[in-house]
Amino acid sequence: MAKVLLVDDDAAFTSATAQLLTLLGHEVETADTVASASTLLHGNTYDRVFLDLMLPDGSGFHLLDHISHDTSRVTIITGHPAVKAQVMNLYGMNVNYLVKPITLDQLKRLFDEADVNPATGAAKRHFGELIGESAPMHALYNMITRVAASYANVLMLGESGVGKEVVAKAIHKASNAPGPFVPANCGAFSAELIGSELFGHEKGAFTGAISRKTGLFEQAENGTLFLDEITEMPLSLQPNLLRALESKMLMRVGATTQIPVNCRVVSATNRDEQQIVESNCLREDLYYRLAVFPIYIPPLRDRMEDLPLLAQSFLDTLNRENNTAYTLASSDLERLMSYDWPGNVRELRHSVHRSYIMTSPDAEHLSIPDSFSSPFSRRKTSPAQPMLVGRTIEEVERELITETLKQFDNNKTRAAEVLGVSVKTLYNRLGSYEAENAQQN
Amino acid sequence: MRNKTERFLHDARGPLNTISVNAELAKLLAQKNGAGDNIVNALNIILSECQRCNQILYEFGAESSGDSME
Repeated sequence: MAKVLLVDDDAAFTSATAQLLTLLGHEVETADTVASASTLLHGNTYDRVFLDLMLPDGSGFHLLDHISHDTSRVTIITGHPAVKAQVMNLYGMNVNYLVKPITLDQLKRLFDEADVNPATGAAKRHFGELIGESAPMHALYNMITRVAASYANVLMLGESGVGKEVVAKAIHKASNAPGPFVPANCGAFSAELIGSELFGHEKGAFTGAISRKTGLFEQAENGTLFLDEITEMPLSLQPNLLRALESKMLMRVGATTQIPVNCRVVSATNRDEQQIVESNCLREDLYYRLAVFPIYIPPLRDRMEDLPLLAQSFLDTLNRENNTAYTLASSDLERLMSYDWPGNVRELRHSVHRSYIMTSPDAEHLSIPDSFSSPFSRRKTSPAQPMLVGRTIEEVERELITETLKQFDNNKTRAAEVLGVSVKTLYNRLGSYEAENAQQN
Repeated sequence: MRNKTERFLHDARGPLNTISVNAELAKLLAQKNGAGDNIVNALNIILSECQRCNQILYEFGAESSGDSME
């Protein structure tokens, strides 16, 4: 439950919104002028303040100085969409906006972000979706907040399983777009039908087109269209997508006239930028149109401090769904932390689920398997090096250390653990290699 | 003319906003038992806001006609 202050001089709106928020379980107070709101703000602390900008005795902006931004979040209620970017630029992350007319879904979403359960210690879900308090994730939250305030298209880059669709949903929620979130996987459509899926078709456009069909672009009107695996889209169709993005107009298959479309396109790929260029799977002009705002989503191994939160969250969900109360033993958590999770968050979730299924009904702790390795553990299975007779033990040892460090992104603590030596020993070895190199040069 | 259009858009969103939250409230109340009076009240507000929005549209139409005649 949140304590809410609603400041607006439209009594019919204030009364209904206060009732709505109360029905959602929040405690609401109302004010209809800057003066009455100031009085309430002096004596009380609110979790969230809804603020109309045009009040009878002045601008709602005047109240921002009276609000503690450490404890309160502010939502500006505006009739003008252009205000939202100014709000974000002027007041930062604790101030957002709602554009009239307001819906119940928008109100609910605002409180999703602060959906923390202090009693159970459940992890905070940022934007109602994302779990993690590491530095890379906070940098990501900052980017989501910034891009959500704009109309820019977003291209997300990241390994398989990092949660690109979840980030796309977070952008959609943060933008408070009135339209829906429509996800689609470009790799799942046949080359013949992808045009019809994206842009729709008219009755009789082709054999089997027995009625008019609206495409994904139209379904996402005033919302967000998420195109996963965008690099799997046939090159021959990419000019059509480019035209739709540039002109904000599209033509259904078999139609003779264009129709306007208005939605943000968030696309994603698990190829990095270098691979996109080398594989020639995405037209350069389309890349720039999609990647107005590129976002790189970090792999799980780069934010291992988030793993306990994620594992606990997955376990909480399973416990809740099945009315159980398994816990994670600290020794098992350490084992989870020692694996590098090449399949990222998806692999972690599946491992927790698999462990949950294997756990005995009378057990207290989750039964974590002995090994997590999967056929896709590319980081664990680098091609075997030929063992050439004639090399010295020192040479082999040096190669082993170098390769191990490469596998763990030069993380010396983890490399030392895997090699079975102390970190100090590893540093000594590296120091001696540097000295040898210096002598040779 | 641009200022007039912006003011019109702002004014028209006011009643639409009130209609929207009252419709949401009526919908939510309809799912609960014993909230008949509140539902009727919310629907009355929706109807009166429709009239207010209609008046704004009428005034904008009249002003626009005046502009085009000038």
